[in-house]
Amino acid sequence: MKKNFLYFEPATVAQAIADLKESGAGAWRLAGGTDLLVRMKRREINPDALVDLKNIPELAGIGAEESGFRLGALTTVAALLRNEEAGRLFPALRQAAAVMASPQIRELATLGGNVCNASPAADLVPPLVAAGAQAVIAGDDGTRTVPLEEFFRGPRETVLRAQDILTAVIVPWPSKNCRSVYLKQGIRRGHEIAIAGVAVSLVRREKNRLADVRIALGAVGPTVLRARKAEEFLRQHTLSEAVLAEAGGLAALAAQPVDDIRASAWYRREMVRVLTIRALQFCLAGGGDE
Amino acid sequence: MDKRIIAAGTAEAENRFRRVGKRVPKLDAWEKVSGRTQYIHDLKLPNMLHARILYSKYPHARIIHIDPSRAEKLPGVKAVITGYNTPEIRIGFLNDNPVLKKDKVRQYRDEVAAVAAVDPDVAAEALELIRVEYEELPAVFDPGEAMAEGAPLVHAKKGTNVLNLPWQFSAGDVEAARENSAFVVEETYRLTWVTHCCLGTAGCVADFHPNGNLTVYTPTQIRFLAQRDFMKVFDALGLRGKKVNVVQVKAGGAFGSKLDTYPYEYITILLSYYTGRPVKLVFTREEEFFATPGRQPAIIKIAQGCTAGGQLTFRDVKMILDNGAYTSWGATTPTVMVMPVSSLYKVPNIRYEATCVYTNNIYCTAMRGYGNPQITFAIESQIDTLAEMAGIDPLEFRLINANTPGEVTPQKFQVTSCGLKECLEAVRAGIGWDEKKGRGGGRGVGVAALLHVGGGARIYRSDGCGVILKMDDFGKVTVLTGATDMGQGSETVIAQIVAEELGVKVTDVTVVNSSTDTETWDVGAHASRTTFVAGNAALRAARQAKEKILAAAARILKHDAADLYLEGEQIRSFSQPGVRLELAKLLRQMHFAGGGQVVVADYFYDPPTEMLDRNMSGNLSAAYTYGAHGVEVEVDRETGQVKILNYVCAIDAGRAINPMLLEGQLEGGVAMGIGYALMEELKLSNGKVLNPNFLDYRLPTSLDVPKVQSVIVETDDSEGPFGAKGIGEPPAVAAAPAIANAVYDAVGVRLRELPMTPEKILAAIEDKS
Amino acid sequence: MMFHQITLTVNGSLFTVMVAPGDTLLEVLREKLGLTGTKKGCDTGDCGACTVLFDGRPVPSCLVLARAAHGKEVWTVEGLSGDPGFRRLQENFVNRGAVQCGFCTPGMLVAAFVLLRTTPRPTEEEVREAISGNLCRCTGYQKIVEAVLAAAAIPEGSRGPDQLSEGGDPANG
Repeated sequence: MKKNFLYFEPATVAQAIADLKESGAGAWRLAGGTDLLVRMKRREINPDALVDLKNIPELAGIGAEESGFRLGALTTVAALLRNEEAGRLFPALRQAAAVMASPQIRELATLGGNVCNASPAADLVPPLVAAGAQAVIAGDDGTRTVPLEEFFRGPRETVLRAQDILTAVIVPWPSKNCRSVYLKQGIRRGHEIAIAGVAVSLVRREKNRLADVRIALGAVGPTVLRARKAEEFLRQHTLSEAVLAEAGGLAALAAQPVDDIRASAWYRREMVRVLTIRALQFCLAGGGDE
Repeated sequence: MDKRIIAAGTAEAENRFRRVGKRVPKLDAWEKVSGRTQYIHDLKLPNMLHARILYSKYPHARIIHIDPSRAEKLPGVKAVITGYNTPEIRIGFLNDNPVLKKDKVRQYRDEVAAVAAVDPDVAAEALELIRVEYEELPAVFDPGEAMAEGAPLVHAKKGTNVLNLPWQFSAGDVEAARENSAFVVEETYRLTWVTHCCLGTAGCVADFHPNGNLTVYTPTQIRFLAQRDFMKVFDALGLRGKKVNVVQVKAGGAFGSKLDTYPYEYITILLSYYTGRPVKLVFTREEEFFATPGRQPAIIKIAQGCTAGGQLTFRDVKMILDNGAYTSWGATTPTVMVMPVSSLYKVPNIRYEATCVYTNNIYCTAMRGYGNPQITFAIESQIDTLAEMAGIDPLEFRLINANTPGEVTPQKFQVTSCGLKECLEAVRAGIGWDEKKGRGGGRGVGVAALLHVGGGARIYRSDGCGVILKMDDFGKVTVLTGATDMGQGSETVIAQIVAEELGVKVTDVTVVNSSTDTETWDVGAHASRTTFVAGNAALRAARQAKEKILAAAARILKHDAADLYLEGEQIRSFSQPGVRLELAKLLRQMHFAGGGQVVVADYFYDPPTEMLDRNMSGNLSAAYTYGAHGVEVEVDRETGQVKILNYVCAIDAGRAINPMLLEGQLEGGVAMGIGYALMEELKLSNGKVLNPNFLDYRLPTSLDVPKVQSVIVETDDSEGPFGAKGIGEPPAVAAAPAIANAVYDAVGVRLRELPMTPEKILAAIEDKS
Repeated sequence: MMFHQITLTVNGSLFTVMVAPGDTLLEVLREKLGLTGTKKGCDTGDCGACTVLFDGRPVPSCLVLARAAHGKEVWTVEGLSGDPGFRRLQENFVNRGAVQCGFCTPGMLVAAFVLLRTTPRPTEEEVREAISGNLCRCTGYQKIVEAVLAAAAIPEGSRGPDQLSEGGDPANG
C-alpha cells in the first residue's frame, strides 16, 4: 500500500468539498475504508490524497424526516442492524445488512461507502432501490437529490462529480401494507459476496392484486437493475403461482449477467428467477416482518 | 464426554491409565490464548532486514535481461539478488527447481529476483524498480496436451514433459476379474487445486553468523530434512565445515505445506549471506495463495467390479497428475494413493498406474491426506454406484468387503488392528442410516470409508524419531523430541505418554522441540506419524528412565525392583503399600550421593516398516488407520445449495491418548474435507491464480461447518504407544465422497468433480431432467 | 514522507506515536507498540485474526488507518487478558480444546468477548454468527463454539465448573 499521501479530516461537508477541490484528481473519499483500503493494498488505487469523511456530523445519524427515513452516509452497517426502527420499517434492508460481509467489516463499512463503491454486488443497494430510495448529494453548487436507481452509471461508476459528497440516503416511508425481502445466493453462508441478490418490495391492493411492486437485482449486471417488465406484469395480473413463475422468468430476462470466477451467467440468471419467485412468495405469504 | 467404542477383544483404557485417555488441555494453550506465542511474523532479531521476492509475469518465458540497478540505488535497499548474481541452487527431489530463475521462467510464480531492505515497504518499492525483459514462450496448461507430440517443453533438456516416475502397482489378474464380474463401473473423476490456507502465512528468518554458520528460523514440519537441504547453500557458496541450525518456530498452521523446503527460504538465506545481517521474509496472503504449492490435482480413470453378491473383484486405476513446473511432494502422492487403491476393502485384483506431467501451472506438495482425499473421492463415490447396481445398501456393501485384523493386503500391508466395521456401524447409528437412506425428498445420507497409514510411513531411509529424556532434582521431566508440534498437540500427547510411564503429572513434563542443535533426528510431521513414532520413542525413553529410577530405589529401599512402580510422583510397592519414596527425594539422593547419578535416557525409535519396492509393494506402515464418514444433507433442488444436517466421523485410532485433542483433529479435518467437497478451489487461468484471497477462495466459516459427532474406535494396536495409531489426516480424507454420496441419495445426481458448488449441482439436476 | 503524530489509548494506557498516512492500526499495534498478540492473517479484513476492540466495537485493525485511530480507545488480547469475562473465555478455550495452532485465537477471543458483553446467554447460532468473520483452519470451530457457550454459562464472578487445568483431574495427578 502506498504509504505517503495527503490526509484531510474535514469537520463539515463544505470543508470536505473544499478539500476535494484542493487535492484534485488523485483524491479519494474515505469512509469505512473496507473497500478503499483493500484496493489500496492491492495497488489498484494509489491516492495522492484521502479525504476522511468520518468526522463530519452532517453525514451521521439515522432518523425520521418529512420526506422519509434518513440514513446518514456514515451509518455503519452494524449501526443499521442495531437500529430497531430501520429494521422494522425496512426488513429487506435489515436482511441485506445481516448477510453483508462479516460482523467485523459491518462495524466499519458504511452505507454511504457501500453505495458509492458502486459494486454491482453491493448488498444494501437492491433493497434500497426496491424501496425507492433517494440519494442526497452535496456539491459546491448546492445539494441535489437523485433517485438511487439513477445514481449508478456502471461498475464503480456513479453520478458523483469529483467534488460531490453523498450525504445521506432517504428512504420514502413505506405504505402500511408494504412487504419487502432480500434474498441472496452465494456458495458459503459466512462472509460471502452475492452471486445474485434479489430485493422485492410490494404493496397489495386486494388479496390477489398488487398496488405496487419493485424488484431490484444485485450482482447480475453492471449496476443493480430493476426488473421492470416483471413488475409491470405483476401489477397487471391477478396473482397465481403461474403469474409468479412468469414474473420470475421476466426478472431473469432483465438480468445482464456475465461469466466470472464467482459464477456463470447461466447460474446467475437462473438464481434471479428462483430468488424472485421465492421473494414474491415470501412477501405474499404475509412475510417481510420476519 | 467423548464417544468411544471399544472394539471387540480390546482392553478398556479408562481403568488402566491415569493420564493416557484423558482430556488434558494442550500444554501451550495458555500461551496461545494470551497472545504470547511467537510466530515467525512476530520474530525480530537485532539489525534485521526484510526481504521481498519478485515473481514472473508470464507462465513460460525466456528471461532476456534483468536490470536491478534502479532498485539497488533506492535508499534502504541492502541487496538485490537474481539468478545472474548468485550461484545456482537447485531444489526439489528431482533437483529441477532453481531457487532464483535464470534464462527461463516456467510458471507465474517463478522467483526472478529478491530484495533485502531496511523495512518491508522499501523492499516492496524496490521490486517495482527491477526491470525484467521477457520473451514469452508457448506454454502448456493441460496435462493431456503436455503429453502430446510437439507440446512446448517445460524443461527442454528432459526432452519430454512426462516425469521419469513410473508409478505402477499390480496384483492378480484385473482383466480376467473384469470379465468375471457381475457388475462393473468405469468412470473418470477430476480433482482440481486447493490449498492449505494456513492462517499464519509462510515465512522464515535467516541469520548467517560472522563465523559462517547459519541459523534458519522457520515453522517447518521437517527441521532435520530442512537442515540437510539448507546445506546446499554452503556448497553453492563454497563454504566448508560450516553448520546449519534450524530453529523450530511455532506454526500458524501447516497441514503439509511446510513439508518441503522452498525457494523463498534459500533466497532469504542468500540475502543474509550477502548482507551479513539477519533477514526476514514473510509471505503476504496473496503470496501464500499463489506461491505456496497446494494439493495435487488429478484426473482419475477408475473401474471397479463386484460379484452378484457384492464382493469386490477388481480395481483398476489410471491417473494423470498435473505436476506443474517443478517437483515437490505432489509428484510422490501416488505412493499414498496406491494404498487405498490396493488395500481399502478386500480386493483381490488390482492395477494402478500414475503419470506425472510437467505443465506451466503451479506445482504441488503435500496437503493433509497426501493424495488420499483425491483417490478416496473416486473409489468411494464409485462404490456407491456399484452397490446400487448390485442392489445392495451401500453401507452393507462396505461391510461385506471390509478389511479385518490380521489381513495381509495385495500390497503386502500387514493389517494389525482394524476397526473399519465398528466405524461403519458407528456411522449407521449416528446418522440413523436405516431410517434415512433412500427417502428422497431432497434429503439424503451418504457414507464413505477410508484407510491411511497410522504407524509411520517409510518414504525415506529412516522413519525414525529420536528422544532425549532428562529428569531434574525436583522430579520434573524434560523431553527433547525430534517431533514437530504444528498445533495438533503432539507435545501434550508425548507429555501424557511420558507422564503415564513415570507416574508424574502431565504438567510436570516439558516437551522441547526447538532446534536441530538441541534434539535428535526425526523425519518430520507427516503421514499422521507423530503420536505413533514420536510417542513410541518417548515411551521407550521413559521406560529406560523408569528402570534407572526403580533400580536406584531398589538399592536405597533394599527392596526388589520388580515389586516397585512409579505413581503419584512416588516410588511405591505392589506388595507393601507402606513402602513409599518421594520421586524427587530419590532423584536428589541419586544426584548428591557419592559418585552422582542423574537420570537421562534416550531412544531412537524407527518403526518396523518397509520402503515400497519397484512394484510399490511392502509393509509401508507399522499400523493402518481405518475410518468412516457419514453425513446427512439437504439439497435445494432450485439453487443446488447443500446443507449439512448431520455428520459422523468415526476413526479407528487404536487408542485415544487424548480424546479432546483427537476430537479436535476429527472436527478440524472434517471441516477441511467439507471445504474440499463443497467450496474450495484455487482457480487458474493459463497458469495464473485468479482468486488469491479469502473472499474468492472460500474457506468454510463457522456458519458453514456443522456440529460433527466424533466417534473414537479403540482397537489397541499392538505396536502403537499404549495402542494408539496416527489420525491426523484421516478426518480430512473421506468427507467429499460421503457428501457426494449423500447428494446422490438426495437428488439422484452424481458429481465427479470437486468442489460440488451449488452451480454444479444445479447443472447436474437440470441435465438429468 | 509526511508523518502525523497520533495519540490513542491502547489497553488503558495513552500512547503517542508518529505514523505515515498509509500505516494501519494493526501495524502500529504490532510494529510500534510491540503488541504482537494481534495477528495479521490476510491484511484485507477477510480472516478476522487482527480483530481488536476499537471504541468498544470489534473491527479488523488491518482496515483502520492509524491516522483514523487518533483519540480512540483500543483493546487487544494483551490488555483484555486482565478482564474477568475475557479470562473465563480463555479458560474455556484452554480447557475445551478450542486452540490448535493458535493463530486465529486472539481475534476469535475478541469477537467472542464482544458477543458475550452484548448477548450474555447466546444461542449456538448466535455464537457461530458472531465468529463468522474469524477464519480457523484447524478446529472446525466446534470446540470454539462450545468454549464460548460454556463461558457464557458461567455466572459473573464465579470460578466456574472447569477445574481441568487447576488440578482435581487425574490426568494432572
